[in-house]
Amino acid sequence: MDETQLIKGIQQGDRKAFQILVENYQRMVVNTCLGIVHNKADAEDLAQDVFLEIFRNAENFRGEAKISTWLYRIATNRSLNFIRNNKRKRFFQSIEETFIGGRNRTNEISETPTDQPDRNITDQQRADMLYRAIDKLPEKQRTAFTLNKYEELPYQQIAEIMDISLASVESLIHRAKKNLQEQLLDCYKKKCV
Amino acid sequence: MKHDYIQNDLIFYLDNELSVEKKMVVEKHLEECADCRSLLVFLQDGMQVIEKEKDPEASHFFYTRLSARLEEKPKFQAQSQWLQLLQPAVFSLLLVIGIYGGLKIGSNASFPKLNQPATIGIQMLNDFETEPIESFLLDKL
Repeated sequence: MDETQLIKGIQQGDRKAFQILVENYQRMVVNTCLGIVHNKADAEDLAQDVFLEIFRNAENFRGEAKISTWLYRIATNRSLNFIRNNKRKRFFQSIEETFIGGRNRTNEISETPTDQPDRNITDQQRADMLYRAIDKLPEKQRTAFTLNKYEELPYQQIAEIMDISLASVESLIHRAKKNLQEQLLDCYKKKCV
Repeated sequence: MKHDYIQNDLIFYLDNELSVEKKMVVEKHLEECADCRSLLVFLQDGMQVIEKEKDPEASHFFYTRLSARLEEKPKFQAQSQWLQLLQPAVFSLLLVIGIYGGLKIGSNASFPKLNQPATIGIQMLNDFETEPIESFLLDKL
């Protein structure tokens, strides 16, 4: 089944076509979300939201771009929204703690995105350091960097996904790397790991 | 100065994005400078995190969970559509009942006739007539 048939099937509500699409692109979508949120469970939930959106809004797909481009766009947008919402929640939570006092840890959103028990302390610290550095990048730099590093996409494809020029992608990734290096260098000097 | 110059390019050196000349300069410096070598290892280890994290093992129940969500969502949507209609209807009804109740209570209330409170007021004023202020003050003395 090619892409056009898949989309036609999904537009007609064909669950089998949808299952094939999910199986073909699940890894790609989860990996993209993971590159932005750095938590496997959250990345899977977001990937599910992405596929649900595809199933419900399949009629909006005009076939001008590849399915993967469409999926990458939704995955990055949803992941960035997730990060924004978490930041907002943390902000209100900190206000609440300031005024009400005491910490209700039961519903707290994890500050550190990593929760992989199989990692040793140094690995965990190193991962946290890198994620903090990535999280500090402006959204466009983060998106371009993630698509390039996690999905190993060529600059041209990133330009199509982000709907910007090739030169802009080059500039975004260059600046992202510069910023990351600056932060990691700072961390190295302060011996934070 | 040389350290800063080299250190600013290490991430590009790791990604093999430097020109041949620049790459040679960096490599030559790294041979001589232990501090920059140590920083290179630090950066390398940091960036390795991405390699370790990416491409996680696929979840076996991904589609099963997705399929379940596909089933339950329309129900929720239908329910929320009902709620969206029901909420303003209930609020409007409560508002109408409130206004009607207010009017009903208002029409049933008996207002005191103008003469009645006037007489009370007059009686109080007439107390002065029965007991003039001068005699009141003289009594106190």
